[in-house]
Amino acid sequence: MNAVIQTILIGIVIGALYGLVGLGFGLIMGVMKFVNIAHGSFIIIGGYIAYWVFTLWGVDPFLSIPAVMFVMFFMGLILYRLVLSPLLKYPRAEMRIDKSLLVTFGVTWILDNVVTMLWTSDTRSIVTAYTGTTFNVFGARLGLTGLIGLVIAVLVAVALQLLLTRTYFGKHVRAATEDSGAASLSGVNVQRTYLISCGIAAAMAGVAGVVIVSCYSIAPSMGLSWLLTAMVVIVLAGEGNIAYMLPAGLILGLIQAISTLFISCAYQQPISLIIFILVLMFKPNGLFARGR
Amino acid sequence: MAHWKKLSILTLILALLAIVPLVMELGSNVMNVMVTLFIYIILAQSWNLIGGYTGQVNLGIVAFFGISAMVTHFLWKAGAPIYLAIPTGSLSSVVLAALIGLPTLRLRGMYFAVGTLALAQAAQTIVANIFTRSVSMPGSFSATYSLMPRYYLGLIMVVIAITVVYVITRTKIGLAMVAIRDDEQAAQVTGVRVFKYKVIAFLISGILAGLAGGLYAYVRLSFWQISIVFSPSWTFDALLAVVIGGAGTLAGPVIGSVFLVVISEIFANTLGQAHLILFGLLFILVVIYFPYGLIGSVDRIHQLITRVRK
Amino acid sequence: MLEISHIDVYYGDLQALWDVSLTIGDGEIVTLVGSNGAGKSTLMKTISGLLKIRAGYIDCDSIRLDRLPVHRIVEQGISMVPEGRRIFPQMSVLENLEMGASINPARKVRQHTLKRIYELFPILKDRAKQLAGTLSGGEQQMLAIGRALMSQPKILLIDEMSLGLSPLLVQEFCRVIKGINKLSKLTVFLVEQDVQLALSMAHRGYVIENGRIVGQGEAKELLCSEEIKEAYLGMEKADKT
Ligand SMILES: Nc1ncnc2c1ncn2[C@@H]1O[C@H](COP(=O)(O)OP(=O)(O)O)[C@@H](O)[C@H]1O
Ligand SMILES: [Mg+2]
Repeated sequence: MNAVIQTILIGIVIGALYGLVGLGFGLIMGVMKFVNIAHGSFIIIGGYIAYWVFTLWGVDPFLSIPAVMFVMFFMGLILYRLVLSPLLKYPRAEMRIDKSLLVTFGVTWILDNVVTMLWTSDTRSIVTAYTGTTFNVFGARLGLTGLIGLVIAVLVAVALQLLLTRTYFGKHVRAATEDSGAASLSGVNVQRTYLISCGIAAAMAGVAGVVIVSCYSIAPSMGLSWLLTAMVVIVLAGEGNIAYMLPAGLILGLIQAISTLFISCAYQQPISLIIFILVLMFKPNGLFARGR
Repeated sequence: MAHWKKLSILTLILALLAIVPLVMELGSNVMNVMVTLFIYIILAQSWNLIGGYTGQVNLGIVAFFGISAMVTHFLWKAGAPIYLAIPTGSLSSVVLAALIGLPTLRLRGMYFAVGTLALAQAAQTIVANIFTRSVSMPGSFSATYSLMPRYYLGLIMVVIAITVVYVITRTKIGLAMVAIRDDEQAAQVTGVRVFKYKVIAFLISGILAGLAGGLYAYVRLSFWQISIVFSPSWTFDALLAVVIGGAGTLAGPVIGSVFLVVISEIFANTLGQAHLILFGLLFILVVIYFPYGLIGSVDRIHQLITRVRK
Repeated sequence: MLEISHIDVYYGDLQALWDVSLTIGDGEIVTLVGSNGAGKSTLMKTISGLLKIRAGYIDCDSIRLDRLPVHRIVEQGISMVPEGRRIFPQMSVLENLEMGASINPARKVRQHTLKRIYELFPILKDRAKQLAGTLSGGEQQMLAIGRALMSQPKILLIDEMSLGLSPLLVQEFCRVIKGINKLSKLTVFLVEQDVQLALSMAHRGYVIENGRIVGQGEAKELLCSEEIKEAYLGMEKADKT
């Protein structure tokens, strides 16, 4: 019984993180129809910034989140200005998607190499005074860092949802998502909406990175596997369904946690791939899609 | 250029490549570079077929390269002759291509891209978990190691790869591929069986990537960690070669590979890892600003100038 | 006053408009008639900035429009109801209307504008919380017009208002458009395939064929002209009957 609760706890904690990882990626994909392969690298960089701030100045990783978000926000703006916005000149949507796949793959290549040069390819994690602290939940153990990560993931998801539904900017984002041409005809500055969305997506990647480096660990080569996680979450939630990203992440987390009871956790990535393929084959519009 | 003129230049290059190593001592450095070049050309042509001609962005071509390299290596080690090991390796690439292609090629392009990327990642993880120690061919193989047969096998494979791409792109399949790339919906509407031709292109691309992987296993006898045959850098290099040379052209991947290998030789020693970053920047610039590749763009500018003169 | 002078417009390498010139005076209802594929929508999209011109210029009250991005053209007081309505189906009716007031000055007075639009189309008020995608065709057209009016435009461009609507609804829309034109001095530029309808509403009209303006005049004159009757109203020439 304890083992079951423990598994569910682990699944929820990591699943919320998966949802967080999917959010930023899904935002860019939904709004701009660009696939940002570099999202995983952004996550890793966010983690390394927190790691740096912690080792250099001893700042608690969760307290460094605002600073990380700030830096990553600007990285997102730069990504949009230098790499993504030039692609808008291509008239056909498929063409833009293909080009975005290629250029962001190139960005990933650059970032991963830069990260390796700056921090070597070693695996890093942040160990604070409270890292080992755990609580007893119905006989199972819940780590403090994991709990903080869970709270942060939920807070970010709720904040994004409020932003999208309650603010003018958020509504602009949704309008541009549905029909960018009609949005611009309504007076929405679509380019600016894209720019800021990109910044927000990168900032969310940064938050995910901080949670990862505090609860688990990071290495330059992990970017692509986090990207895969983001992709699986998107596929589960259904493209553009920002509201379902967190539940989708939780489902993925639980599936993985349960699978580790039977299969070594070294094989989580192949399991993600299999889930990805199965969902695409049987539920290509996501788990939550009603029959259309 | 007239057809026969092109053909005679090609024959000349081929003859040179075939004869020079026989009459001149090139040294193992040059031979190594040449064999590496051959691997790149084959892999780049493989990417060109699916990415350049058919417009399906494969971000995990290394999966097909890697599995073939591994299968070839182990079969060869188990005693199979290399001329059987490499084709079997290629066959395994095709099987893998079918596994990932059939579910993803039906859907929008990005699922294929991410699916292939994920496949490559998963393959690397699985292999790294299974083979934690170094693998290598028995000592007798390295005692008799010679680059000559590798060079010639590589040259033959390059000719095969280029011929395959040449022939396919001039058949009905090739027309369908280009139609799919240019406008998938329009192709569908005009009766092209989009999914079928995507799969055909992808499987043939898989064979070619498999050949490149097999050749690599033939050239490299020992691996500190065999999971490096799944390193994403193979994918990136293939993409870079195609994009720089010009995607969807026969000569582009060849020219791009030559460019890449030469530049690597020059910069790898002086700049170290920083040269990879330069490559990344170059790649992005070319994708955004030179959609026909560096070579193709020079060609286009030339055409424009001559048109203006007339 | 909107002035379009000798513009050429292309889709890639394909030319769609040749040397098109026209003017629309303040407070006028002007219509552009032409058969399917003549270039009516192309001209509309060009005025609103979705397409760029390769020659000529477009001025509005001596401000050059053709170099501005789409949302800045809306700021200049030009708002378009696009062909096919293009509402945001996954957003509520109210949110759709709010989107129309995206530019700054309109946003400040949006509650006031909203009230006026609810007066014009009371049904939108009842449906305010409903997703726009669930509205009927006629209601969607109301929403599209309402959204365009939310930016408080000087000039309203409407592309194919009557498409797919019942004759009764079309009459209703005509009444509303004429009403706003009279009361609020809103200039209207109307594109229609239903030539009879368009010319009966408008003060003046232009005729476009194969991307070129081939005729213009007072709406009443055009309605009586033999060429128009023959080409667009399905009537034969008077001397034959
Ligand atoms: N997106 C496009 N790409 C290429 N050609 C187009 C496009 N849209 C319209 N056209 C062409 O431009 C011409 C005018 O089209 P349009 O302005 O839509 O006509 P109308 O609205 O009068 O029916 C037509 O010949 C049409 O084929
Ligand atoms: Mg039209």
